[in-house]
Amino acid sequence: HPLIKLINQTLIDLPTPSNISACWNFGSLLGLTLLIQILTGVFLMMHFSSGDTMAFSSVAYTSREVWFGWLIRGLHMNGASLFFMFIFLHIGRGLYYASYLHESTWNVGVIMLLLLMATAFMGYVLPWGQMSFWGATVITNLLSATPYVGSTVVPWIWGGPSVDNATLMRFTALHFILPFALLASLVTHLIFLHERGSFNPLGVNSNTDKIPFHPYYTLKDTLGAALAASALLTLALYLPTLLSDPENFTQANSMITPTHIKPEWYFLFAYAILRSTPNKLGGVLAMFSSILILLLMPFLHTTKQQPMSTRPMSQLLFWALVLDFFVLTWIGGQPVNSTYILMGQTASVLYFAIILILMPTIGLLENKMTSFIYTISPR
Amino acid sequence: MGPEFGRLAYVRHIITYTLSPFEQRPFAKYFSVGLPNLWRRFRGQVFRVAPLFLAGYAVYSWAIEEEQRLKRKNPADYVNDE
Repeated sequence: HPLIKLINQTLIDLPTPSNISACWNFGSLLGLTLLIQILTGVFLMMHFSSGDTMAFSSVAYTSREVWFGWLIRGLHMNGASLFFMFIFLHIGRGLYYASYLHESTWNVGVIMLLLLMATAFMGYVLPWGQMSFWGATVITNLLSATPYVGSTVVPWIWGGPSVDNATLMRFTALHFILPFALLASLVTHLIFLHERGSFNPLGVNSNTDKIPFHPYYTLKDTLGAALAASALLTLALYLPTLLSDPENFTQANSMITPTHIKPEWYFLFAYAILRSTPNKLGGVLAMFSSILILLLMPFLHTTKQQPMSTRPMSQLLFWALVLDFFVLTWIGGQPVNSTYILMGQTASVLYFAIILILMPTIGLLENKMTSFIYTISPR
Repeated sequence: MGPEFGRLAYVRHIITYTLSPFEQRPFAKYFSVGLPNLWRRFRGQVFRVAPLFLAGYAVYSWAIEEEQRLKRKNPADYVNDE
């Protein structure tokens, strides 16, 4: 039977390396989180009204009056944070173990990251709080920096002269439909991955030592899912507003600008890079480049060894990049003061320097230092 | 889709022996060997990870103190004011 054969080839008899670590759990966790977001999102949509006069109060109604509406909303809000945490860890795994050498899988993954970011950005606008409105205003205004067409494109996106009811309604529609585009990309991502099989932490060809996905990795992924569910429930039940901005408890008001406009935590690193560049168009380009640079990773891989498991100098640079990411995230949430301006600019330059210059250079150095030739095994 | 079991690799002259899972203790030496191994793995990585994050924390706490200092006036500047 073709459907059973498909499920069997993907989840049961799939040959999987015997040594993939916990870092390989994030793929399945991302799929699970997407499912949670779609389910909770559909239930939230049943009670949401997308007009600007009704949106805020419909979300409050859902949280207060709908049976377990507070829980569904808590799961959806914190599920988004968990989604980004997992995707950052998943990308980190990809950088450390050079998974980007599966180019087609990697490129589809970058498209999925962009879709996720678009979905999350638009989803945050829907409750129509102060930060929803002003965050949307700031970020959509950035597109006006585009030469020639910028001033035309922005009102076209808004559906009017400013972020208003038309913007909210189209963001509602797009926020609903994009996760299904994400789902389609997920299927493509898995098709490309399963053509070659998963990689492994040692960096060797694992075709001689593969085990079936079921029961080993169904069980391991179930454990990962249980831990992730615990994290999500802890957030949703005990600390539902830990990661959110208190400004969003106030309804959107175009006449009152919040003192500190900032996006949710998962966009802060890009926000810091944006604010660190004095030029408006330069800032926009730097911000988009910080994500799109991932597409360049296969071409920046200069070393003959695939993973960083046996490359200590590259490991140091990797952790420096992780630290830099944390610094950028922190700076993105801070007000623009002299101390933080300098740190943000330094961290932004370091981010690109590590990826574009330092890592490839260290890779070449490591080639010279190793005494054996290690070639990447064809599958 | 992709190679299946039986078409993965051609290996000659390799003989593998396995024990039935029913003949094994699943958590044998979990603590007596596992904990020292955990320490060994930690020691192997800690000096590549921790120094950077300690330096990062030092910079973070300096930045916060510096920002607080810049927001405050220096009392010594106003000591002789009437």
